[in-house]
Amino acid sequence: MALIELNKISRHYQMGQQLIRAIDEVDLEIERNEYVMFIGSSGSGKSTVMNIVGCLDTPTSGTYHLNGNNVGGLDENALADIRNHEIGFIFQTFNLLPRATALKNVMQPLIYRGLRYSERRAAAEAVLERVGLADRADHLPNELSGGQRQRVAIARALVTRPSILLADEPTGNLDSQTTVEILGLFDELHADGQTIVVVTHEPDVAAHGTRTIRLKDGRIESDRRNERRSLVH
Amino acid sequence: MRGPLWFAFTEGSRAALDSIRAHGFRSFLTALGIIIGVAAVIAMVSIIQGLSVLIDQEFAGLGSNSVTVQPFTTLESALQGRNARLTEDDYELIRYRVDGIESITPMMPIQAAVNYQALSTTAQVIGTTHSYQTVGQAFVTKGRFLSDSDVETRRNIAVIGIEVQKDLSLPADPVGEYINVNNEWLKIVGLLEEKGSFFGQGQDNQVLVPFTTMARLNGNRWRPNIQIQLTVANINEIETVTQTIRRLLRVSHDLDEDEEDDFGFQTADQLQDAIGSILNTVTIVMGGIVSISLLVGGIGIMNIMLVSVTERTREIGICKAIGAKRHHILLQFLLEALVLCLIGGAVGLAFGYGIAAVATALIPDFPGAHTPLWAVGLALGFSGAIGVIFGILPAAKAANLDPISSLRYE
Repeated sequence: MALIELNKISRHYQMGQQLIRAIDEVDLEIERNEYVMFIGSSGSGKSTVMNIVGCLDTPTSGTYHLNGNNVGGLDENALADIRNHEIGFIFQTFNLLPRATALKNVMQPLIYRGLRYSERRAAAEAVLERVGLADRADHLPNELSGGQRQRVAIARALVTRPSILLADEPTGNLDSQTTVEILGLFDELHADGQTIVVVTHEPDVAAHGTRTIRLKDGRIESDRRNERRSLVH
Repeated sequence: MRGPLWFAFTEGSRAALDSIRAHGFRSFLTALGIIIGVAAVIAMVSIIQGLSVLIDQEFAGLGSNSVTVQPFTTLESALQGRNARLTEDDYELIRYRVDGIESITPMMPIQAAVNYQALSTTAQVIGTTHSYQTVGQAFVTKGRFLSDSDVETRRNIAVIGIEVQKDLSLPADPVGEYINVNNEWLKIVGLLEEKGSFFGQGQDNQVLVPFTTMARLNGNRWRPNIQIQLTVANINEIETVTQTIRRLLRVSHDLDEDEEDDFGFQTADQLQDAIGSILNTVTIVMGGIVSISLLVGGIGIMNIMLVSVTERTREIGICKAIGAKRHHILLQFLLEALVLCLIGGAVGLAFGYGIAAVATALIPDFPGAHTPLWAVGLALGFSGAIGVIFGILPAAKAANLDPISSLRYE
């Protein structure tokens, strides 16, 4: 059974008189421990696919099975639960809580899971250690470099042990050196068995994945396995 | 394990306190409306209730077992040109025919000019007997009080209050000096102890003279109009005693059954109750007016909270993306407003108490502010209610935000 199963998923918006088909009848399966890269020009629908896979958005039509469970028709709170348990989001602009320290940012998702402070703290410290930021735990986001911020964001995504890591242009705001570091971290996580889905428009970044899906005008244009990348490890 | 709501509540409070601390100065300004509102309510209530305590103390000094019988002219009688009167005969009647009276004295008060050497003052000159000492709780510090023989022999003597002594620049021990009232020379035999003023009616501004002497001072009228003041031996019998007096006086005044009493009773309790209820009304009305400022404070809180929700739209989006449910966000903002209001309420309470303490200290002879517990409870309860009422709208706005568009919000 595939981890993610999209069946004729469409997302349409009404904009004035015009109907926008952000994605149109997309069929897609992603297995466990895949490292999938979505590429495509802006407006191709890759962010919409991300939002639907991440349960932030609901499709206009079609069915979405996550871990074999139909996500369609769930209410807002049930979707929040799925985001909390199954999905780890990583954003281009990091999206850390500005007034919370690195540690508190990483602890935040566990609040919604109902964990006690001591448990949250222990889990968050372990993950910060994993991304190599144990010594920056007490720093506020604006006291950290871009690469460090993205590491905190990755730690926050990992702390809930999600089924899928969803990254939207994770290196878009980083310099080339930091990009290499972050992608290295992704590679390690993938090697540890993590399923990762990344949206990017940079071919260098896309080369890291085991599978590349190119979107165009809301449809899948091509879907290739990238065996070379898998062989490196 | 406690329920998930309790967990959300404690975590929400933690987040609220973090947020309030992070925006220290803004939080202070936001709560300022509540602080001022609560401070105003507490200060006002404390001062008025302090006044109420003062009055209660004054009444305790007056003696709550005392009853005054006064002539009372009904409107009908007044139109017919008949004035109700109490006479010495009535006094004798009550004195000899009513049981349960501890002491009784007739009183004939007039306002008169009192002269000493070149100085003159206006005092309440009261013709009375030695029983006034018990009835009016008036005791001398110098000299002696009126005696029975003073009344019998119509001596020209007087016992004066401390204010009269001061106004006329009499010596500290005025016994033996002569004062002039209505062209009669009265020798001072005693000085009353200080009692403080009671609603402008200075008990210290009295000149007590023998009842019989007073009749002469008053122009030697036949059967002068008097008041009768008495104390009952047992405070529980006050009702029985007044009923007996009422029956006797009705008979002696030849009143028909359909006629109203031409006299009235005044007890200290009645007066105290009346004044107490006036003060309570004043407290409620003033409290109501000042509460408007709390309302304004609440609107201020709502305004800032709405700004804060807009400002933190992106944060709300982040929290929703990582799994916050509606009630998490709702509680966080609601608790933030609530905590802000309660802190404001507590600070306002302290301020209000301080203002009342300083204000009452500046008023001479004021015994101090009295902050009743119900006012404290009301102020805090009201602040909390304002937090919830004015916090719910911004909190609902935050909880209803769409995660995708909030994440894109710049």
